[in-house]
Amino acid sequence: MNDTPPLMRLHQVGKRFGTAVVALRGVDLDIRLGEVHGLLGANGAGKSTLIKILSGAFGPTSGTINWKGRDVRWASPRDANDNGVATLHQHIPLIPALSVLENVFLSEGGFLRDTKGARQRFDALCTQVQYQIDPDVLVDDLAIGQRQMVAILQALSTGADLIVMDEPTASLAAEEREAVYRIVRHLSQNEGKAILFVSHFLDEVMDLTDRVTVLRDGVAALSARTADLTEDQIAEAIVGRQIAALERRSREESAAHVHRFGAVALEARNLTSAGKFAPLNLELRAGEVIGLAGLLGSGRSEILHALYRADALATGDVLVKGTPLRNSPSAAVNAGMALVPEDRNAQGLFPNFELWRNVTLPDLRGVSTGVTPVRDRERQRGADAITKLGIKAHSPDALPGELSGGNAQKITLARWLFSTVNVLLLDEPTAGIDIGAKSDILNLVRQLASQGMAVIIVSSEFEELLAVCDRILVVRDGAIVATRETHETSEHDLFLLAGGKSASADQTQH
Amino acid sequence: MTVDSVKAGSKPAPSLAKRTSWARVFSLREMGVFYALIALVVILSVLTAATGRPNYLSVVNFTNVLYQSSLVGIMAMAMTVILITGNFDLSVASVAALSGALMIGTADMIGFWPAAALAMAVAMGCGLLNGLVVQVIGINAFIVTLGTLTAIRGIVLIYTDGRSLAVRDPDVIMAMKAFEASRHDMAIPILVIGAGLALFGLWRIATKGMAPNTLGMLLGGVALALVPVLSGFTLSLPNLVLYMAACALILWGVLNFTILGRRIYAVGGNPEAARLIGINVFRYKIAAFVLCSAAAGFAGVLFASRLRSINPTALQGTELTVIASAILGGTALFGGSGSVIKTLAGALLLYSLTNGFNILNLGANYQGLIEGLVVVTAAAIYTIGAKKKH
Repeated sequence: MNDTPPLMRLHQVGKRFGTAVVALRGVDLDIRLGEVHGLLGANGAGKSTLIKILSGAFGPTSGTINWKGRDVRWASPRDANDNGVATLHQHIPLIPALSVLENVFLSEGGFLRDTKGARQRFDALCTQVQYQIDPDVLVDDLAIGQRQMVAILQALSTGADLIVMDEPTASLAAEEREAVYRIVRHLSQNEGKAILFVSHFLDEVMDLTDRVTVLRDGVAALSARTADLTEDQIAEAIVGRQIAALERRSREESAAHVHRFGAVALEARNLTSAGKFAPLNLELRAGEVIGLAGLLGSGRSEILHALYRADALATGDVLVKGTPLRNSPSAAVNAGMALVPEDRNAQGLFPNFELWRNVTLPDLRGVSTGVTPVRDRERQRGADAITKLGIKAHSPDALPGELSGGNAQKITLARWLFSTVNVLLLDEPTAGIDIGAKSDILNLVRQLASQGMAVIIVSSEFEELLAVCDRILVVRDGAIVATRETHETSEHDLFLLAGGKSASADQTQH
Repeated sequence: MTVDSVKAGSKPAPSLAKRTSWARVFSLREMGVFYALIALVVILSVLTAATGRPNYLSVVNFTNVLYQSSLVGIMAMAMTVILITGNFDLSVASVAALSGALMIGTADMIGFWPAAALAMAVAMGCGLLNGLVVQVIGINAFIVTLGTLTAIRGIVLIYTDGRSLAVRDPDVIMAMKAFEASRHDMAIPILVIGAGLALFGLWRIATKGMAPNTLGMLLGGVALALVPVLSGFTLSLPNLVLYMAACALILWGVLNFTILGRRIYAVGGNPEAARLIGINVFRYKIAAFVLCSAAAGFAGVLFASRLRSINPTALQGTELTVIASAILGGTALFGGSGSVIKTLAGALLLYSLTNGFNILNLGANYQGLIEGLVVVTAAAIYTIGAKKKH
């Protein structure tokens, strides 16, 4: 296949934002017709940026994109689309109130919808991909997997040669994934389309792709034919060694049982939430740090929310220091629990509140005289938060929107450091933030644990978990599939468990 | 997926010194409603003086405007609270009418105070119903209260059988008059409060430096203290105006100076974040509905006390004036921000316009057009201001 000229060739494509932020340092990538090309990388490696460049959302700051033999620069996503690059984004941009047919031909202009012609073309498309769906059903009534199919049909309807799929299977059930795989294979082998398949799941990448590129720190760390690779090699390439020193120390301490645990701080008994995760039992001791290792959509955040009693539909018991909690986050907070949520903008920050108001909110009594918050004390606490976590903000009066992602993230953590918190739940505390801020946060977690705080961290960056956790639970498809002492495992072991090899391998091992 | 490559190691000491952007504090976005009110008063004064009509700025006219705007003012401030929590209530005028009708209908039998209490209880029940339907079923507040606006007006029609009700018992009539319209000379209390506020503001500025809220206290205090001075140290205000002032004082105090108030803003600013911080968002949002309907019920009792009778179409359409006042005061319709003092200024602005049209004898025909333009202009200024901020 190597003798065919590439459909798209990226040469040293780089992207910086402003002067300080470098997302891509120079990526080479060849995509050929009839080939499924897998793109992998940890969070922050530059995958999203690369996809946005391919799909025309923004241009590269350096390097060239060669498309069908000539250098191009997309003016807009529309421009890329018109030239034959269709992109399926992670969040499927369909219009729920329209029918399948209308969604598939959404991008077409014209005043009247040419229903008859559209229907014929729709049937042709369905035959082409060998997937049948009622064109008149409203998208709102479809399951998530079917919507994914509609999105694929939509991409095909534009006659694209290259289809970029950004984690198309992340939120799908097993049988829905199979349907996606079938279409992807069919498109590449029978229709001769080129497909860039972005995924976290190593097993599907091994099964499906002809060629793999792994991004790490904004460069292509690995690019080879899939047949020549093993899952291990791919996992190794994804991992890199960023927080190596921390990790080694943690591993040694964990092996030497340096960390002393206190009484049971948090206990879950038969905790479950229908459709989200299977019943689980969990014991967390004071001073212990547990990691939940899992990929996007594995149910890890859902478990954390249920532990925090923020899932109204969850059943089973959560006990703090032996006392069962009412199913409400206020009960959890009153019992000394704290959650740093995954999506800091949607679930964590108050955009109208200055930094100090954001920080003091959970413990207003601590800065009040009677029922009146005292502004000087509140602003002092804001200033303390800035010093404690090294938040880069001009003053406590900064609004969250004026700070960078990492610094805004630190606010959501800082607000829990001024009251009595015994159990801290962190949901992807380091997603999308820089390495410096990352190690700040990880060091803080270790420090808090040494003072007796019990911590659970959810992360898809397993090296971080290895750096701070005493014990790591691997979550896949809504179930805890393995438990590992930190010193007994490795990042690539975790990657295999969370994203690839089934848990049966694990059971035979122990 | 941005990657910050700046190292977070170096920690510059955060400055506690307050950097106040005075340009923003005094921007149209923040202070527009006060500017508009001042400008309107100046224009009307000049026009009345120039055309030889009775002076707009007379004490009698000033108290008139206050009196006329009180009912809407009370409801608009409660509306501001519900808007801050991210909800909406279109049913206020219907609830007020129901409350008034119930009071008029029962006062002859059970006396004024029990009737008023009954009316208030029913009004708060309406608010609880609105809140539960919105929060439990999860229907948009606009739709729910559009429904109750119509339905509660329907109940008023059923209860009154489509006719006007009136009270006959002279004791009840006396009680109503005393409750709503008895006047008190407030010159000295206002002078004391105004001077107190101004002095407190001045003391804060002297000790802690200039800040927007202390400057506001100083200016507001001076303005307040000047009123009795200019009116010759007699200022007779009806009870209704005093009730409005009390509501303003309580709501302003709670929203700005208590833990409760901070949480109300938090609930509207980001409900999910507030929930995850342990605030009972459900309870706060329901409470805002109950408060809003309680204010409406109170306004209904006052309205009915004023007329000692009620007509089934009473106060119809007032909900729009109430919401317009809140919008003029810069309250965001999507929650998280708003100020009862600015809303009050918005209500005063609308009633000053009406009053000015009457005094200048411009004819009621133009009134609706001008009021509508004022509301849209204000909203435009706020929206453009908000975009610039980002």
